[in-house]
Amino acid sequence: MGVISAIGIGVGETLRSLLEGRSGIGRIAYLETSHCDLPSGEVKLNNAGLCALLGLDFKSDYARTALLGAVAVREALSSAGILEAFDTHTALVSGTTVGGMDVTERHICNDAEENTNWDFITRQDCGSATEFVTDLFPVFDFSTTSSTACSSAANAILFGRDLIRSGRYDRVVAGGSESLSRFHLNGFNSLQILDREPCRPFDSTRAGLNLGEGAGYVVLESERSVKERGARPLCLLAGCGNACDAYHQTASSPDGEGAFLAMNKALKDSGLKPSMIDYVNAHGTGTQNNDLSEGRALERVFGIGKVPPVSSTKSFTGHTTSASGGIEAVISILALQHGFVPSNLNFSRQMEELSFVPSTAGDTGCDIRNVLCNAFGFGGNDTSVIFSKTEESK
Amino acid sequence: MEQLKEQLKRQIIEALNFEGMKPDDIDSSAPLFGDGLGLDSIDVLELLVLLEKNYGIKLSDPAESKRILQSIDTMADYVAAHRTK
Amino acid sequence: MKIVSFFSFPIPSGDAVLSEMYREKGISYPKFFKMDILSKSGFLAAEEVLGAAGLRNEEPKPDMGIVLVNSTSSSADDVAFQRGLKDEEYFPSPALFVYTLSNIVCGEIAIRNRILGETSFYIDSAPCPERMIRYVKWTFADEMIKKVLLGWVEVFEGGRNVTMMLVEKDSAEGEDFTVEYMEKIMK
Repeated sequence: MGVISAIGIGVGETLRSLLEGRSGIGRIAYLETSHCDLPSGEVKLNNAGLCALLGLDFKSDYARTALLGAVAVREALSSAGILEAFDTHTALVSGTTVGGMDVTERHICNDAEENTNWDFITRQDCGSATEFVTDLFPVFDFSTTSSTACSSAANAILFGRDLIRSGRYDRVVAGGSESLSRFHLNGFNSLQILDREPCRPFDSTRAGLNLGEGAGYVVLESERSVKERGARPLCLLAGCGNACDAYHQTASSPDGEGAFLAMNKALKDSGLKPSMIDYVNAHGTGTQNNDLSEGRALERVFGIGKVPPVSSTKSFTGHTTSASGGIEAVISILALQHGFVPSNLNFSRQMEELSFVPSTAGDTGCDIRNVLCNAFGFGGNDTSVIFSKTEESK
Repeated sequence: MEQLKEQLKRQIIEALNFEGMKPDDIDSSAPLFGDGLGLDSIDVLELLVLLEKNYGIKLSDPAESKRILQSIDTMADYVAAHRTK
Repeated sequence: MKIVSFFSFPIPSGDAVLSEMYREKGISYPKFFKMDILSKSGFLAAEEVLGAAGLRNEEPKPDMGIVLVNSTSSSADDVAFQRGLKDEEYFPSPALFVYTLSNIVCGEIAIRNRILGETSFYIDSAPCPERMIRYVKWTFADEMIKKVLLGWVEVFEGGRNVTMMLVEKDSAEGEDFTVEYMEKIMK
């Protein structure tokens, strides 16, 4: 697996930040915007720095989403031992919504209609970031882009799993990438769901989310291929579920129907009972609407008084939108591997409506066998993924 | 005041794409949300943008916004008293 | 897998024609007028396809999924929203921003028809029946799903067209869900 976000470049640094409770949210330093005061989770490296990491010559037309994706995919391939192509039959399923928007916005902003470079803009759509990554690494012979807003990367993992189940591929790199852009910073701001303070998921005083950026990918591999090449799996992708809330374009239903259905589907798919889940990495954006709706859905799935430790690591990374399902999948796997519950930062007051509080202690030395990871998107697109310890890693 | 209400109605119809609706179709005292025009949370945000753009009024407290956006009457009263442009 | 109904239409520029279609169909759904061209187009095509299959209703449909594909995502709205961010005149529209998420069209169709299964939106550089068939097969990997509403929905400058179809997993009726047949109806 591979990851880059506000709390670190690479899996090692990410793990250290999580264990030390060090958030990456702060003032905007790299994105050019008049909203620098909005706390955000930026990757602490400019595009030239990202190019240097990749050994590329810096070009201003490289989209940040593509560069972030490439850094995380490279780490994922390298740690799985397949960076040096011994076989090119690997698929890439990548989630993004912003795509090359950071490059596009420089071109559209003040251009008059007739001067707008349409040809250039159509080349900067979401698919182009995926193609950039595919072209960089010779192992891929198939790629596709999933764009379902904030559940894009989680859905990419789900689609990757289906691709392996269908028998067409033995290896799929799945996840997502998203850079901050003035475009969606202003968009979320216009929806009045950005907190001007660091976000406080599941807190009664929560006032919205902080945006973040980054990329996270996992390498999915069929059992057959793992055996054949003697690879050592990090964990088992035990189950996935996606459901549609069918309630409102942006708001989640009050009882969290879509989230409830998605979690139940994932549990059914994995064959696990709710009581066997040891940690839930929540979507937990910090908005009034999401945390209440997700909280209710958690109570419905697990039962009042039986909700396992829950935390939202968006208090570390910010809401990395389309990449969140990928970054949080990596964090969930780290929790499995290293036996800890990442802390839900900035929490102080319990929500009146909910029977449980998120985990804030950052407990270590826990026996964590099964982790459920949620990612919900506008459009009512709700996805849950379950990762479990394998026999070998137990 | 009547003129302002008429203008607000026209702006709302335009901003929220109520196709085929005329200002006279909106009752000034009827609730804008729920049973009335049936506006939702995104519509509220559009109305806030409308107030800022056309009248220089910036509302950030949700409870206050809710009170002001009850009906055309309540909107017009607030706009008349607080407009800066 | 069979295609039990399909509908295809070119999207003329501007959305007046879409409003006309809406009126001709006698649909009453005021939210329609707030949608962007992508959502309006997908919405109308879904009305036709589900109508023909006798499924245009508000019964909850946990066994139905949605797979939509295009090549430019929501670029048309992106450009419009971006224009609202010009510095001297800073009034980005929240409603427009919502529609810059391409998968909102899936949400609109799902809300209207109470579709509760898997929904997905893919971006491919050109309409490719082979890939679209693959996406549907992935969706059927979820055993609860028996029907998939599949569509190519392209609305950006130039290649504007929509083809929507309903694919049923276990139907005996309908056309075979093959590349050849898809090519025929997507022309």
